[in-house]
Amino acid sequence: MSEPTNPHRRSRLIAATALIATLALTATACGDSGTKSGDEGKGQGKIVFWDNNGGVRTAVWKQIIAAFEKKNPDIKVEYVGIPIADVQKKYDTAIAGGGLPDVGGVGTAYLANMVAQNALEPLTDRIDGSALKGKLVTGMVTSVLAAGGDAKQLYEVPTSANQGTLWYRTDLFTAAGLQPPTTWAGLYAAADKLTDVESNKFGFTLRGGKGSIAQALEMMYAQSGIDTFWNGDRTTVNDPRNIAALEKYAGLYKKATPEADLNNDFVKMVAEFDQGSIGMLQHNLGSYTDHVKAFGKDRIDGIPLPPSTDGGVRTVVSNPVDGLGLFKSGTNKAAAWKFIEFAASAEMNSLWNESAGAIPANTGTAGDKWITDAKPTKAAMDSPNDPKTKIVQFPYYLPDWNSITKADSEPDFQKLLLGKTSAKDFADKLADKLNAAQADYKKHKS
Amino acid sequence: MTAALAEKGIRAVPPAGITPPRTARRRRRAVDDGTPRWQIYLPLGLYLLFTLVPFYWMLLFAVRPAGSTSLVPWPATGEHFAKVWNERSFGMYFQNSMLVGVATLITTTVVALCGGYALARFRFRGKSAFMLGLLCSQFIPGALMLVPLFEIFRNLQLINSLWSVIIAETVFQLPLSIILISGFIKNVPMALEEAAWVDGCSRFRGFCAVVLPVLRPGLIAVGSFAFVHSWNHFLFALMFLSSQDKQTIPVGLNTLIGADSVDLGALAAGGVVAAVPVVIVFAFIQKWLITGFSAGAVKG
Repeated sequence: MSEPTNPHRRSRLIAATALIATLALTATACGDSGTKSGDEGKGQGKIVFWDNNGGVRTAVWKQIIAAFEKKNPDIKVEYVGIPIADVQKKYDTAIAGGGLPDVGGVGTAYLANMVAQNALEPLTDRIDGSALKGKLVTGMVTSVLAAGGDAKQLYEVPTSANQGTLWYRTDLFTAAGLQPPTTWAGLYAAADKLTDVESNKFGFTLRGGKGSIAQALEMMYAQSGIDTFWNGDRTTVNDPRNIAALEKYAGLYKKATPEADLNNDFVKMVAEFDQGSIGMLQHNLGSYTDHVKAFGKDRIDGIPLPPSTDGGVRTVVSNPVDGLGLFKSGTNKAAAWKFIEFAASAEMNSLWNESAGAIPANTGTAGDKWITDAKPTKAAMDSPNDPKTKIVQFPYYLPDWNSITKADSEPDFQKLLLGKTSAKDFADKLADKLNAAQADYKKHKS
Repeated sequence: MTAALAEKGIRAVPPAGITPPRTARRRRRAVDDGTPRWQIYLPLGLYLLFTLVPFYWMLLFAVRPAGSTSLVPWPATGEHFAKVWNERSFGMYFQNSMLVGVATLITTTVVALCGGYALARFRFRGKSAFMLGLLCSQFIPGALMLVPLFEIFRNLQLINSLWSVIIAETVFQLPLSIILISGFIKNVPMALEEAAWVDGCSRFRGFCAVVLPVLRPGLIAVGSFAFVHSWNHFLFALMFLSSQDKQTIPVGLNTLIGADSVDLGALAAGGVVAAVPVVIVFAFIQKWLITGFSAGAVKG
């Protein structure tokens, strides 16, 4: 004879089963991913825009959005600022789980990753049919094409670029009787002369922590004069001339730089420089406003890194280009494209870049007063047009580029600064990883 | 007689105007077990210095005018605070963080109380496995669950709602909170509850009347832990909230660091705004917090 069933127990069992089933269904329910094909829409209504450098540029974006909405009263733009350090994570989560915006700020450093996930709309045809045709700086277009991994399609409209700049304190140089550091010999001599460790004064500050590799590569290629990243399928990173340049650069550590530079990310490095007792800093145009705030325009100047030899070729590396991407999953692409076109127009592009202290992508901005007034920006803009300037294109298209040059190699660079590894070993290890990543990329592409 | 008093822990106070003998003064410079006071205060002072210097640095940058290199916070300015509060919407972020923190505190405490009571007072099949599961869940980082959680919240229409953050924070806080609360409840003799039942109370009434008042230190410990954790947590707020007007303080702080430039004054002022509630919470509850954690640690 079977035991009589307890009615309370049975109802609890049913409730528990129902709850588990509901949770399981909820958890496994298929949402629309971020890669689904969206719709052109009616060219009106609401669009969502993610700013990939939220906070810092919020004010200028709100100004641009207000101007756009005034011109297009039937389109509303919802602005969302994303912290730059986490933008890739935010995009990746939305690509996997859905919820991408209509328009987003996209940098070439992670463009390939987003293109590979089929999240972005190709834009070449839209650009050709718009007022932007022929108005975008060729160098930036080339960089965006290379970074996207598709030689024919642009996956973002470039809006600005940055360039490595050698910032130096004009007042300290004048007081020490030094000429501006326009040659490598002059740079190293000045670093030495401006250093007085006992008085806590240093000639240079370098980046030993987060982001150190891009900075080191920039210094290596600028000194060596090697103007290509690849020699066939092998990288030129460990070319003996680059190794020699790296040795000199790393040799500055503790001799002409503070010991704390070992852990410098850009925030600490710029803050250290802006404290006022350091002569030179190699960063990019983006920190211009911080330096001016700290010293005023008269005590600071920025110039491109010196040419490899006096009067010789000046090698600059391709800094990430920032731009605007149109997302495939958007349901109002016509309105979203109108916004991109407007934001990349000469007037708005000039406004944005003036605020950011960066190089505008729209050629219509070239004669704007703020550019001629900001000497470092003007110098950085003129530099690529100089026939003696060669641009080394970094392989941002490699899916492993970020992990190789960040998590994998930054600890090794610190070992190099501490003298626990040699410049050759560091460069060889980095080169091996890059060569393997390139081979892998080509294998998957073919 | 003085020695006898000292043995009882009573210190003799010399009459006014009379200098105590040298031996007594020397004894006063030592603690009861004979350790000289400086051996306690010097390491404590050094540790305090080590802990407080970063806070001083943050305060210095927060009140120092832009461009100043002074090492003392004078002349002071409130421009950075005004900037983060008004221009950078920290007032709104503060309000959102407070909502998330208080709601997480309440939900975590209530659910942990129920779960902890069940674990402490009932015997059921799979209890040990459940406890083990709770402990193991502590090893799963939030980042790993990001995409599944994102999908669940999206299907529940909770993306861009503060509830998504509150639920996620509560879920991640619960295992440890349940284990702690169950430890506290085990410390309360069952006979107390039984006495309440004999007097005619239901289980719930008996729990409220007898057990709950004794649990105050434990509840404060668990609640404050939940509040502080959700106040400081960045990842869920960044991922689940999309509109600017829903963001919380940690996300706001991160937006003060740009790609190539950073406003250190505003960042420091934002840091002060973010730290103040946590400091106030700890200042008020530290007595209960220490009692609570040590009581929960005795029995598991």
